[in-house]
Formats: sequence, C-alpha cells, structure tokens
Amino acid sequence: MLLKVENLQTHLHLKRGVLRAVDGISLEVGEGETLGLVGESGSGKTLTGLSLLRLLPKGSGRIVGGSVALDGQELTTLSESAMAHDIRGKRIAMIMQDPMTSLNPVFSIGDQVGNPLRNHEIARGAALRSAVVDVLSRVRIPSPDKRLGDYPHQFSGGQRQRIVAAMAIGCTPRLLVADEPTTALDVTIQVQIIALLRQIQADTGAGIILITHDLGVAASLCRRIAVMYAGQIVETGPVRQIYRAPAHPYTQALLAAIPRLGQKRTRLAAIPGQPPSLIDPPTGCRFAARCPVRMDKCAEAPPTTVLGDGHSAACWKLA
Amino acid sequence: MPEQAMLELDGVTKHYRTKRGVVRAVEGVSFAVQPRTTMALVGESGCGKTTIAKMILQLEKPTGGAIRFEGNDTAAMDAAALKSYRRQLMAVFQDPYSSLNPRLRVGTIIAEPILAHENPGRAAVARRVEEVLDVVGMPATAARLYPHEFSGGQRQRIAIARALALQPRMMVLDEPVSALDVSIRAQVLNLLADIQQEFGLTYLIIAHDLALVEHFSTDVAVIYLGRVAESGPTEEVFATPRHPYTQALLAAVPQPDPDHVLSETAAAGEIASALDPPSGCRFHPRCPHVMEVCRSTVPEPLGGAHAASCHLLRA
Repeated sequence: MLLKVENLQTHLHLKRGVLRAVDGISLEVGEGETLGLVGESGSGKTLTGLSLLRLLPKGSGRIVGGSVALDGQELTTLSESAMAHDIRGKRIAMIMQDPMTSLNPVFSIGDQVGNPLRNHEIARGAALRSAVVDVLSRVRIPSPDKRLGDYPHQFSGGQRQRIVAAMAIGCTPRLLVADEPTTALDVTIQVQIIALLRQIQADTGAGIILITHDLGVAASLCRRIAVMYAGQIVETGPVRQIYRAPAHPYTQALLAAIPRLGQKRTRLAAIPGQPPSLIDPPTGCRFAARCPVRMDKCAEAPPTTVLGDGHSAACWKLA
Repeated sequence: MPEQAMLELDGVTKHYRTKRGVVRAVEGVSFAVQPRTTMALVGESGCGKTTIAKMILQLEKPTGGAIRFEGNDTAAMDAAALKSYRRQLMAVFQDPYSSLNPRLRVGTIIAEPILAHENPGRAAVARRVEEVLDVVGMPATAARLYPHEFSGGQRQRIAIARALALQPRMMVLDEPVSALDVSIRAQVLNLLADIQQEFGLTYLIIAHDLALVEHFSTDVAVIYLGRVAESGPTEEVFATPRHPYTQALLAAVPQPDPDHVLSETAAAGEIASALDPPSGCRFHPRCPHVMEVCRSTVPEPLGGAHAASCHLLRA
C-alpha cells in the first residue's frame, strides 16, 4: 500500500482549549489511485492533508497519536530534516487551493517551478532549465520556454493553478495531496484542471488524495471516497457505493441537500443545526444531534461496520 | 399584456476608464424582472454580473442605458424618489463575515436601515427587530449579541433579517450561499424561498452555481464578458440551451454522479479581458462552432422570450 494512515489524531492547541481537529482517522491510498476526502469546513480534511506532510501550524498543531506510513516508512516519528529532505515536495507534494497565495509574486515562474528540483538536487544548470520547461509543458502552459521569466500576475487564474500543479509534480512524487484544487476557478476552467489531474495520474502513477467539499468534483475524479464529519471518517467506500447507496445518515443527508442539474424546483432537504465544536466534542456519534434516525444508543461512539467491498460506515443503525 | 416589470434594464453599459485603457465591463445589457419572480444572472468571474448588481443598487453609475424600477428611470429620480427606491430594494451579499459590522450588536445592525429611513421610536424599532429575527428563524436574544458569536449560516440569516427590516419589495442576492457549507446552504435557500412566498418578494440572484440557479430561479440571463449570451425562462434555458456558451457551462458542471461524463472540450481556453474584448461575438475565440461572421459581427438576440445572441440561430 502506498499510503496507510491508522488512527491519526491531530490536535490544535488554541487559547480556547484543545481542538481535536483530526480524531482517529484511518485511510489507505494505493498506487495510481485517487481517494476523495470529502467534508465541510472544519471537518478536519485539510488538517489531515497537512498532517501527512507534517505541515501543521507551528506551535499549535501537533500529531498526538496514530501512524502515517508511506511505502511502509513511518512518517510521524521521522526527524524534521529527513521530512524536509526526503519526503516533503519529493515523495509527497501538495497542491493548494488558491494559486494566488501559493505562488510568490516576486519570483519568476521558472524560479518557483525549479525550486523543488533544485532543493532535492534533481537537476541544475541547463538540465534544470529544460526540466522546468518540460514540466510546464506537461501542465500545458503554452510556449513555456518563453515564459520562464514571467511572474505569477502575468498568468490567468487557470494558468496559475497549472503552474502550482507543475511545482508539485516536478519531482515525480509518489503521492499528491490536492486541497480544493479547483474551488477558486470557474467551471469551464475547473473542468480543464480536472482533466489535467487525470492526465498527471495516468502519466506518473501517483496516488492522489483530493480534498474537497464539492461532491461533484469528487465524483468526477475519485475511485474511492472517505466522508469526514467533525474530525472523523463516518463512511468510506468505492465511489459508486457512496453516491448510489450511501449508508451513513450524514452522507445521505449531504447528497440530498445539494441541488442537481435537471432536478425540478423542489424544496431542498436541509440538514438542521450545525456541526459540533471539536474543543469538547460529544462522546457518542458526532452527527447524532442533527441525525433524522438517531436512537438512544447514539450517545455512545458507534462502531465501524464493514458493508463489504471496501465499503464501511460508523453508525449504530448498521451495527 | 404582461404585468409592469418590477425592474428593467435597457441597454445598460458600464465602462471604466483606467490607465491601461477602457474596461468594457458591461455592454448593452437588457432584461426585465417581473414581480414575485426570481431572475438569476449567471456567468464566470469577470463577466460583469456583480457590476450589473452594483448599478441596480446605485453603487455605480451606468455609462449608458437605463435602469427602470416599476417603469421609472432611476437616473431621473429626485432625492426623495431615490430614497424610496433604496428602501424598496435591499441587498444580501456573499460574505456574511465582511457584510456585518463586527463592532455592532445584531440588534443595531438590523435597526440601522430602519433608523436611516424613519424614526418610529425605540420600542417600535425593537419590536421590528424581533419580528424579522423571528422570520429568519433566530431567537430574539440574538439582538444583544455580536456577529462573531454566530456561525456563517446564522450570520447570513442576520443579513437577510437586516434586508427585510424595511419590508422591501425586491432583493438583490449576490452569491448568497456560496460562502456557506453544503449542509447550511439548503437551510438558507429554503429560508429565502419561504420569505419570497410570504412577502411576495421579487429576487435578482447572482450566482455561479448552475444547479442552484436551476433550482432557485424562474428566469435566467447568462452573461459572458459583459453581454447577455442567452436569457429566458430557467426551465427552457436549462432544458434546451441555445448559446454555445450556455451549453459549455452546463457541460462543465461536475455532477454528484460517478457515471456523469464531463465535457472538456465545450469551451477551450479562458475568458478574454474586458480591456480588449474580442471583436464580433465575444465568445468566438472559445467557441467550438465558430464561423467567419462571428469574428466580425456582434450577434443580435434571437428567439423572443427564450433568446440567444448567436449567429448559429440565423443559419
């Protein structure tokens, strides 16, 4: 298995208390596979991604338990210098949401795309230049050899996101963590970036973790889906099972709450209330307060039930 | 004979003079919003939809054309008429974190528009605040709290309550749910639908989420680079889109369905700059059906109630 995460716990130490942002999640990503990590803001999906790279907010964020293994190598106990030298940007790379803030406005594109290649001593001199041109053409930046000296503001939003992708794939990482890579883009550009991610995967065989709140984007890119709610994975399974036969009441409610094209004007099935605070989360099922089928039993933490074929969900109804 | 339109835009144009040249943000946009209906403006970022809303809200002055409210040209209104117009037309903006003053209590925020237009006395204002909080499903105690004590969805309810305080007849909703989480969006959309029913409101909604637009609006205008590409009853436009841009937009929307196939070819490239818009049809550099005439001649809207500005319809 390319990536195996077991019972990962990440806490944020805030003034208000300890926020259990990621509270015991387990997941696996195979080579060439795309896993969608789906959830709402505050569900812990981005902090899960940052935990894999050990890029947590300095001072406040800490992995307090569990294991992250890349190709069998444990990452949570690795030294910071080994993380920086061998893992980050080299074997695991991240594509961030906003290309405007993940690119430095005062460095040229050639410089920024070349940086990881230089840092990881993959290429230098003339070879570096041609490697940068090559990776920019792979993300379909037109005439990349003429644009190495250009700065981020000279590119459009869609092109900037392609450049961010180029920075991530330069060192041919084994795993790509893409955090809302299309959220800041218009739909006609979004579809181009989705195609690009598919192509990158076909070319490199990298595993991808796609972090998104958009169930449409997840459906179009992922083979498997993990649904997060309040710091935990409530359901995981093959994409068809999740969309056609969602088992967890939260997944069901989420799919029912989104308007779909081609659907007649009807009332949306809203989910009442809002997610619980993760500073002092409820001891039982975290969705119970909003759940239409809650029972007395839901005051205790639900076990994860295997429903077959890599599909499992944590709900007392299924236990 | 159709009813008198609540709001009518007639050839509205907005040009901004900048150092680098004239930005043609909005170019000859016309549409009418009928009472108690919901008109949606859709299009990608930079297409001019927010500029159109700003002109309707009198936050920008059109360079050309007319905006009429119940038949009266807003440019010809005197101070008193404008004040009455502003009172009948309210707005709800995208980001409930920046649209509410963090230093004012919720009660004060909601009372502000009331005090700007009339002074009915403290008790009456407090009563009205309580009423509108109740309409949006918030407890009366919310009035004493500050915006930061509420979640995004609750803040958007507060913004809606403020817009309702003066009993407007029409609301401009600029991306009212796009800053909210999926599970909260449906709550706010349902609330907006309920309020429209209850008070007979007319809505103009600006949104980029096409599924939401199909669900929420009765009529739609698809904007591309400052021009209306296609407009008509939402049901018809979505069922049989006539403009290649509308077709491209619809084909590019990811569906929550793993078997749905996205079209990557419906619109190549990216939206051009309004500083130097393409000649003829502004969509022609991206259009899969581009013809010679598209490069030179601006297409006129064809098709009556469901109109599209495309030379293909003439062929």
